[in-house]
Amino acid sequence: MNIDIKHIAKLSRLKIDDDELEKFEADMQNIVEMVERMPNIDEELTIDENNAMKLREDKAVTNKYTREELLSNAPFVKAGCLVVPKTVE
Amino acid sequence: MNKDYEVVIGLETHAELSTESKIYCDCKNAFGLEVNSQVCPICMGMPGTLPTLNEKVVEYAIMMGHALNCKINRVCKQDRKNYFYPDLPKAYQISQDDVPLCQNGYVDILVNGEERRIGITRIHIEEDAGKLLHSDKFHGSSLVDLNRCGVPLIEIVSEPDIRSSEEAKVYLETLKSILQYLDICDCKMQEGSIRCDVNVSVHKKGTPFGTRTEMKNVNSFSAAVRGIDYEVNRQIEVLENGGEISQETRRWDDVKGESILMRSKEDAHDYRYFPEPDLRTIVVEQEKVDELKALIPELPNAKLLKYVKEFGMAQKDATFIAENAELAYLFDSCMAKGKFSAKSYSTWILGDLVKYLNETGKALSDTNINAENLTALVEKIESNVISNAGGKKVFAVIIEEDKDVDKIIEEQGLAQVSDVSALEKIAEDVLAANEKSVTDYKNGKTNALGYLVGQCMKASKGKANPGMMKEIILKKLG
Amino acid sequence: MELYNKTLSELALMLREKKISSAELTKSIFDRIEAVEDKIEAYVTLNKENALKAAEEIDKKISCGEDLSPLAGIPIGIKDNISTKGLRTTCSSKMLENYVPPFNATVMNKLCDAGAVITGKLNMDEFAMGSSTETSYYKKTKNPYDQTRIPGGSSGGSAAAVAAGEAVAALGSDTGGSIRQPASYCGVVGLKPTYGSVSRFGLVAFASSLDQIGPIGKSVEDVAIIQSVINGYDKMDGTSQYREYTDYKANLKSDVKGLKIGIPKEYFGVGIDDNVKSSVMNAVKQLEGEGAIIKEISLPSTDYALSSYYIISSAEASSNLARYDGVKYGFRAENYDGLIDMYERTRSEGFGDEVKRRIMLGTFVLSSGFYDAYYKKAKLLQRRISNEFTENFKDIDVIATPTVPTTAFKIGEHFNDPVKMYATDICTVTINIAGLPAMSIPCGYDNNGLPIGLQLIGDKFAEQTLLNTAYAYEQLKGGFKLPTL
Repeated sequence: MNIDIKHIAKLSRLKIDDDELEKFEADMQNIVEMVERMPNIDEELTIDENNAMKLREDKAVTNKYTREELLSNAPFVKAGCLVVPKTVE
Repeated sequence: MNKDYEVVIGLETHAELSTESKIYCDCKNAFGLEVNSQVCPICMGMPGTLPTLNEKVVEYAIMMGHALNCKINRVCKQDRKNYFYPDLPKAYQISQDDVPLCQNGYVDILVNGEERRIGITRIHIEEDAGKLLHSDKFHGSSLVDLNRCGVPLIEIVSEPDIRSSEEAKVYLETLKSILQYLDICDCKMQEGSIRCDVNVSVHKKGTPFGTRTEMKNVNSFSAAVRGIDYEVNRQIEVLENGGEISQETRRWDDVKGESILMRSKEDAHDYRYFPEPDLRTIVVEQEKVDELKALIPELPNAKLLKYVKEFGMAQKDATFIAENAELAYLFDSCMAKGKFSAKSYSTWILGDLVKYLNETGKALSDTNINAENLTALVEKIESNVISNAGGKKVFAVIIEEDKDVDKIIEEQGLAQVSDVSALEKIAEDVLAANEKSVTDYKNGKTNALGYLVGQCMKASKGKANPGMMKEIILKKLG
Repeated sequence: MELYNKTLSELALMLREKKISSAELTKSIFDRIEAVEDKIEAYVTLNKENALKAAEEIDKKISCGEDLSPLAGIPIGIKDNISTKGLRTTCSSKMLENYVPPFNATVMNKLCDAGAVITGKLNMDEFAMGSSTETSYYKKTKNPYDQTRIPGGSSGGSAAAVAAGEAVAALGSDTGGSIRQPASYCGVVGLKPTYGSVSRFGLVAFASSLDQIGPIGKSVEDVAIIQSVINGYDKMDGTSQYREYTDYKANLKSDVKGLKIGIPKEYFGVGIDDNVKSSVMNAVKQLEGEGAIIKEISLPSTDYALSSYYIISSAEASSNLARYDGVKYGFRAENYDGLIDMYERTRSEGFGDEVKRRIMLGTFVLSSGFYDAYYKKAKLLQRRISNEFTENFKDIDVIATPTVPTTAFKIGEHFNDPVKMYATDICTVTINIAGLPAMSIPCGYDNNGLPIGLQLIGDKFAEQTLLNTAYAYEQLKGGFKLPTL
């Protein structure tokens, strides 16, 4: 099977240079071949009712962190906001 | 619009739930606060953080499911919807894919006096995204405010059962009034607490459904109407010119009044949904589901139908009362007494009561009006004990004080004179004193009658029963 | 004997009896780091100043006679994918080179409450993707037994540091063998707890449904002590499970009489090195000699576990690692033209090849048209594998297998062949797929003097049974031996 690496890379927001393309393609091909040895299973996935989670009580906690603390790892900050290249959508 | 075509509309409505905390973390769910002030490592999507599901979100969604007659999937799961955008910090939205919390419901709406049933495909829970701020001053940048990230949403997906923009508007207004009744959403349109995506297609009558387009960024109900009308006309024009409609996503620009292409089918997102591995199964006990159902009051759309069909009210009046939970409660309590007509109550509710509430800014619960004193008041008017004018005076008192209606009538001397001999005496005096008007009337100037009745009322200091007074004068004038 | 050579339990006793202070112990560990770190390269970030300060604080508490946890004053190293408040957490990636979490992982709060002293952050495969610690952006950690060889991975820094005496014990994380495999290669003890028993809050996610934090130590007792501290329900982790508290160390016993040990034939087939096979079977025989009952069993779906594992883990990883986009934290490319270009350059420059491979594999198996053939099938296989274990655990108590088919390979040996590299995980991934607890304990050496690990697998939440079995074997075999550096 042929994998459209360029399309997958685009979906993954990765830029694969042309000289790397072949290597990634071969690697992926090998992995997919390994993976394709899986047998067919004619069953359906079900939701496990016994794996129920406990839900959180609706209570708000304020002032846990300062904005500065939370934004201190950001590459660019302006006026208390994160900065990204202009979006148009 | 071209009459040869039929329009098919489906709506995806997002409503923000008014919980105290966010859906997956304990940050405050609040609007309008300083940018990035209601965030924490979890809703910022910091590495290693995990979501925990707010139980209120599940409850509210189930309530809406009950309100829209849905089947509740008390065992369900959450899924990740993957896409990159700066307002989505984790680069996936936790949502529900194949098994929503509620599905297969319907809602009955009243469009121009006609009852319509709109199917509800599903209601699921998910998280809202943040906000991007744009300005020319940002030098080719946009700013990201994450306060809204993780605000709980329900997405209500309708079947393609809507046939006009007018119907779409009524459907949306009905959803809004139900959300308000259940008290699970602020419904502040300007704050974006209800938003919708619109799917529209057209086809010639008697032919299969056409290809649909999806329109995003519809931020008000009136924008929905404008957007749909625009899109319907655009599609018909394309078809009439021999073109084809392509399945695409468009963006509505309400200022320009036009939709523009956002992405074509080829560029459609591949969201790569898969089960959210950070959360286990949502399991709601059947008792809880039933308990929540018992909490659902009679809903405004059901009330509206009752008011119009059973009580014979005008749709406008009926809608006004039905959509205001407090007014509707008062009205229903009055009607439950089975004594007087809807009209005798609605006149007071839509007139003096609403005027008072608007002027004072009070809620009905802040006043003293209740089904008992309002019925007592109506009773006095209907039995001619007091006039409408007198009734207004009584109303002005009972809305502010807890006072007996009879006592007010007595204290203010509002009881009407209905004793025929007393009224005849007044009439004789007035006619004697106004010979010119009597002559005028006899010469055909019929408006003299009003003047004469007015003089009688004046002479009685307003206590005369105006109906009886008029009849007596007419009799005497021959 | 130097302090760095002693086990956690020995040192805890010495601290309690005031034979040593935590400050002395901590200093001796940092002296050891200074002496051997150049050779081993186990650490990404050292926390010396804070560690010494914390040690002094603990000494004050000890001198006040406070009743402290056995972890109090013990220098412990932390894998660099566990969030440490105020201490950078890189996941050995360029992407998070300067990322300093504003919060602690739940396990860090538990360790700190117990008075553990944090030595620093340990090297790993980038975002825990790898089996050799070679995919780290920063350095290649060496195996203390042979510095031309890999220490295993992804918790290679953790296992190497413990083996080399650069930490008394360490925390690792295990998604497909990342605690057990390096423990095996470095001759130390590693426990991968039952999924849901240790909170994942603050563990930087690789594959959420498989990841689990666990201890690496010099002895079974050491591992039991740490596991007692870090496990337990956490309301911050929706996948964590409520259990009654167990003091694993207090309940340790070396009696295996009547213990039923299953030997799955699928784990001793092709590709298993003879040295490894005989060492593991020897260990099993020794346990049999102590009264354990040995039974051959079959786990037929084992063959497909690796595929199932790579699909599920990569799918989750592709989504978990999508958040590294140069916006909120971490690396952002210097030059870009618009938003999408910024995303693509940031992610392409910030991630290494192995991470990119897994992200793309994961994206592929979830993408439109392929979901059913890959992801769904893998999940169905997962259920089948899990059921096979459940069936077997009706009759047996513990399953014994090799941890890894071979001993530590040479640096660079498999680096350019992902499939070969993945095959080294064949004995370990199944356990993550089934959500079971398992441990690796040293059971001998190969002809080159490289350590071999025995893997013990238990039923869900049967950590005590595992620890007891391992403890019994350790009594027979003898305790930790420091490799000569």
